[in-house]
Amino acid sequence: MASAPIAPYNSSPLGISSSQNASRESLKMEPLADVAVLPGEERVIDKEIIYICPFNSAVKGKVSITNYRLYFKNTDSETPVTLNVPLGVISRVEKMGGASSRGENSYGLEITCKDMRNLRFALKQEGHSRRDIFEILFKYAFPLSHGMQLFAFLSQEKYEENGWNVYEPLEEYRRQGLPNSEWRVTFINKNYELCDTYPTILVVPYKATDEDLRRVATFRSRCRIPVLSWFHKENHAVITRCSQPLVGMSGKRNKDDERYLDIIRDANGTIKLTIYDARPNVNAVANKATGGGYEGDDAYQNAELVFLDIHNIHVMRESLKKLKDIVYPNVEESHWLSSLESTHWLEHIKLVLSGAIQVADKVSSGNSVVVHCSDGWDRTAQLTSLSMLMLDSYYRTLGGFQVLLEKEWIGFGHKFASRIGHGDKNHADQDRSPIFLQFIDCVWQMTKQFPTAFEFNERLLVVILDHLYSCRFGTFLYNCESARESNNVRVKTVSLWSLINSDTSLYINPFYTPESSRVLYPVASMRHLELWVTYYIRWNPRIQHQQQSPVEQRYKELLALRDQYLKKLEELQLSDSTPSSTHLTNSSAPNAATPNQHITHLQTPF
Amino acid sequence: MFSGKQTKPTFKSYLPPLQTDSKKSPQLPIKKLEAKLLPGEIVVNEANFVKKCISTESCQDGLWGKLVCTNFKVSFIPHNSLPLQRFQCTHRLLGEHDISLACVEQVVTVNDVKGKQKILGSNQKLKFNPTELILYCKDFRIIRFRFDEAGPESAKKVCLAIAHYSHPADPQLLFGFEYVGKRYHGSTDETVNGIDPGGGLQTPLFDCSSDWDREIKRTGASEWRVCTINQGYFISPSLPEFFVVPVSLADQDLKQYACCFYSQRIPLWCWNHSSGSALVRMSNISDPLQQRKVEQRISSAIIKSHPLRSDVFKSDLDKNLPNIQDIQTALLKLRQICVIEPFEESEEKWLSSLDSSRWMEYVRTFLKHAVDVVYMLESRHVSVILIEKEDRDLSCVISCLVQLMCDPHCRSLHGFQGLIQKEWVMAGHRFLDRCNHLKKSDKEESPLFLLFLDCVWQLWNQYPAAFEFTEVYLTVLGDSMWVPVFSTFLFNCPRQRAEHSRDFASSKSIHLGQDQALRFPSVWDWSQQFSLKDQTLFNNPLYVGKIATCVQNGTVKTFTHRRSKKNYSSTMRGLPSAMRNGSLGPNDTLTRRNSLMLRLRSDLSQVREQQETPSERFIRDWFSRPVDLQGLLLPQLLPSHLSVWKLYFLRWVPEAQIPQGGPITAFHKLSLLTEEIEMLQNQLRQYNGAGCTPNNPHTEHSKMYFKATSTPHQSLVPPEYLSSSFPFSPMGNLCRPGILGTPLSKFLNGAKIWLSTETLANETI
Repeated sequence: MASAPIAPYNSSPLGISSSQNASRESLKMEPLADVAVLPGEERVIDKEIIYICPFNSAVKGKVSITNYRLYFKNTDSETPVTLNVPLGVISRVEKMGGASSRGENSYGLEITCKDMRNLRFALKQEGHSRRDIFEILFKYAFPLSHGMQLFAFLSQEKYEENGWNVYEPLEEYRRQGLPNSEWRVTFINKNYELCDTYPTILVVPYKATDEDLRRVATFRSRCRIPVLSWFHKENHAVITRCSQPLVGMSGKRNKDDERYLDIIRDANGTIKLTIYDARPNVNAVANKATGGGYEGDDAYQNAELVFLDIHNIHVMRESLKKLKDIVYPNVEESHWLSSLESTHWLEHIKLVLSGAIQVADKVSSGNSVVVHCSDGWDRTAQLTSLSMLMLDSYYRTLGGFQVLLEKEWIGFGHKFASRIGHGDKNHADQDRSPIFLQFIDCVWQMTKQFPTAFEFNERLLVVILDHLYSCRFGTFLYNCESARESNNVRVKTVSLWSLINSDTSLYINPFYTPESSRVLYPVASMRHLELWVTYYIRWNPRIQHQQQSPVEQRYKELLALRDQYLKKLEELQLSDSTPSSTHLTNSSAPNAATPNQHITHLQTPF
Repeated sequence: MFSGKQTKPTFKSYLPPLQTDSKKSPQLPIKKLEAKLLPGEIVVNEANFVKKCISTESCQDGLWGKLVCTNFKVSFIPHNSLPLQRFQCTHRLLGEHDISLACVEQVVTVNDVKGKQKILGSNQKLKFNPTELILYCKDFRIIRFRFDEAGPESAKKVCLAIAHYSHPADPQLLFGFEYVGKRYHGSTDETVNGIDPGGGLQTPLFDCSSDWDREIKRTGASEWRVCTINQGYFISPSLPEFFVVPVSLADQDLKQYACCFYSQRIPLWCWNHSSGSALVRMSNISDPLQQRKVEQRISSAIIKSHPLRSDVFKSDLDKNLPNIQDIQTALLKLRQICVIEPFEESEEKWLSSLDSSRWMEYVRTFLKHAVDVVYMLESRHVSVILIEKEDRDLSCVISCLVQLMCDPHCRSLHGFQGLIQKEWVMAGHRFLDRCNHLKKSDKEESPLFLLFLDCVWQLWNQYPAAFEFTEVYLTVLGDSMWVPVFSTFLFNCPRQRAEHSRDFASSKSIHLGQDQALRFPSVWDWSQQFSLKDQTLFNNPLYVGKIATCVQNGTVKTFTHRRSKKNYSSTMRGLPSAMRNGSLGPNDTLTRRNSLMLRLRSDLSQVREQQETPSERFIRDWFSRPVDLQGLLLPQLLPSHLSVWKLYFLRWVPEAQIPQGGPITAFHKLSLLTEEIEMLQNQLRQYNGAGCTPNNPHTEHSKMYFKATSTPHQSLVPPEYLSSSFPFSPMGNLCRPGILGTPLSKFLNGAKIWLSTETLANETI
């Protein structure tokens, strides 16, 4: 009978990696049907259930719920149908139908997920059969709403690499050439006294005293003062980030803030400091009503203000919702392109990218910039991190990208907990918004336009997004550094980068070609922006799920073939030291496996 | 014949133009600017001190030079060439600034002082002196010339000449005839123009019975035979002289049936599936009285030719696919949004405009229909007859796509070229009319071949490693339609070619000698257009077919995939699957579930309720298995998984160019690696004594365009000249009518006129 083979890859970013690590660590695993459970994972309930696959008919099987995941396997057909869903991706669990509902499979559960899919299960109507599973799911999917801990705190996973060490702020600033005569490191926020959502280590203008900083803080929303994000080694222009000034209805001014921005401008002798306000102009004006606003012309004479027209978190949330409507469970087939346009998802991507391009362009032409939105933790993080990705090839390496995320997103207090709603049952929370997903999408668009410029591949981006929700790692938990510190995240949880860095080969883009000084300017045009189908439309079984792009796969095969040949040649050379080997003497490094080295062989004089 | 029309420029100024802007003043060395002429090519008219606009925003930047109109091309010879763009592959027939007249879609003259504009046709008058000439090209380029410094009379004359010569009144006025005719004019050189049709080509042209015999053998179609009744084109005017029919049909029967078919087109065999099912194409039966009888006779003959005596499935293409006018309208809309509308302004509505052009929808419809046919052949094991009124348009696309999906041979370069010979050229696709080379009837113009190339590109894009060629190849092939020297794209059918070349020969007193007809070069003779080095851009470094090698015990083994003839009884096992469907469980569960559906909230209402059809099931089953690149290939048909063919449609758009980016950068790295592997293979061969190749592994016969250079680190980095448009350059090739100088609305208006080609008439605005 027709069944729904959920391709293994569907759930594999989470599943595969766990089993691989398990075998390496050779930890004792209690098998959970096919999937090895994680150390620290405990089974809570098993139940006979019917999975109502949206792509086919109902599938009978068994569901197991642990404190980490929901695992389903069918029992009614030889074609395997499995689901492997970390509870963290669940945003909503509902009962569907009642005890008196008529019709088959009308009584059960409906699960809405954060990763572009929904799941429906049906149970027998007799004897409140769903009560226990509903309660367990509700409890374990939303542990924080039930006074329980997130799985990241229960996990016992061990990795060779400690991902918590990938980012050392001082080391990163040193890499950028800081501190120097224009910029200094300050520890004023050591105890989060200046700003509770900023990290402890900040880089500020050399000429600004700590007292200046305190006074500027009073004029910036949530005390998020302008601080340095990135420093251009050649022209000394900087990207600084902050929140909106507290101008208010009355149009307040603050001499210290004005002077502070002028110090930033003056640090490399920029004639005009460019302030990029990520918001649409009207939104910036509207913010005056709640005490916020933007830098007026009169007050900031040596600055020019540019609005980047990027919409707020609510608009983005609605946009993604519309996108989900047209891709799940089925792709809208008639007038697909118009439907896609009406979600505005790509248009938002375009605005974010073109904002970042403007920032990068300004900085590479030697002008310092200030970037802010309202609070400086959503659109600001997108803009600074994307422009840094364009300007600095280091961030395009596997390690550098981790540093970028740790610094601009995690360190500077993107409110992951609020935006994702980890372990929280309040699915309709207005604070939730796919800002980080949107950023990753922008990165993906860049990798598509420049296939050789990034050391990491698409898979890394997908895995990052999967664990953004999974709650298996501590990386994306909590809203800011101070909260992470008080909850001892670095001690009690494992970093996502531990997983990634323990097997980097999975995430390496074979086409990567380092080009240290190149600034990447993607073309932020609808002509080139594409829907990331391998992420947004990955649950549809009608789509072939390829572990990696066919081109990437083929390239790796060819690399292997090349190495095989090299090895063979070397063997032949050893066994045959007659004159014929003389013209091969130079090609005796058969294990040059990295693509970067293979050219040396081409240099061999024949 | 052209000599009568040749006019001498009446005004020639050797003085440099007035220097209006010191910064941009042209430096004019006194040097002779001559157009490079091909054999048979003559200069018709020319104008000096013409400026070619090279950037979109304004016509401030430009190249100064001479504009020449010949009987083949519009040529622009710059005084100072642009900074050397070493990446551009040089076309052997057309220079960097040349446009073949066949490629010119519309000639628009403008006088921006008087605010006048006129679209020029053949033999027309122009009441104003043009200050500007805009050439809209069939390949999506828009080229602008300014005449500010040229003599007003000579500007006018050259414009009129271009308009006139781009509207040839007769096929024999197409340049190819003069070009090829030169060969016979007492030239001592044996290979004038290097024309070598057929000879030396590995691509079968299917113009002789042996090519068909080989194809029958290759596909194992033992119950089919080559039929020669149309030799001399006595039976059907549009069929080739040789084609393939069921063995059970005698020549006598065929002659009898012929008159029942539209244009006497007897059903043509295209290809055999390994299961023995045949793909056949056929025109409508014009005689309604005979229809049933003839259809039955044909069907039973096809059934007899099937080893399993399987049934025949008839696929009515006219009913299921857009017609040629729909496709033409779609392309014009696509062109409008790709190159005519201002870039920034059209960004917001790009996706919905693309949608409303319907081009992507048509691409999908054709692919989908081909998949349906593949399902019948592959899973139901029946023969399929493609039926189209004339059997000369839609059938060409569908039969090719089916073979590309089923038959890995067709994905090799020569296999693909043979396929086009077989299903387009020989089957009588009206290239002359569909390309509208004579600009006679816009109703007949339709970009079917381009649509086909786009469908192939979609397959290529989804399975790049399955094809021997690259997207550059597909793009260049599309462009070759507008170089009117290839027999491939000049005629409506083989007979027309024979007749025209005979007539031309006799009118020019050319002695054909042994040749039956003028020997036009075939487009497959790529050396006509490109150097060997540039042709390597066609080679796909990903292609598995050729590089499927492995090392075994020190010997290099190359696996050539041979079409395995499957055992019929084993493929029979597939049969019941179709029957198994429909009667079983899922149907019941689904209908009963409907009651539940009604109560579900909106986001679940999309759940597919209808039962999967057998062909959907076949597709899903195929997608659940790993892809065999040497086997059946099915495209992903979800609209979300089809893309715009950017290299073709956006290559001229400067704003859309990704400098040092695009898929070509990965392709570059792949080429280097493939190159290295080939070299290692050679070395290994030498070791194994099989070293028939001399000691030069790094010969210039390398198959890859990109090679590692002597500076290792530079060669790793994608060369600076790579861009998403590579090997084409938007520089100077897309100059939309600017907003400067003239009101924007006027130009948009002009663009609209250009769109509705019926109104291509003479009104002056």
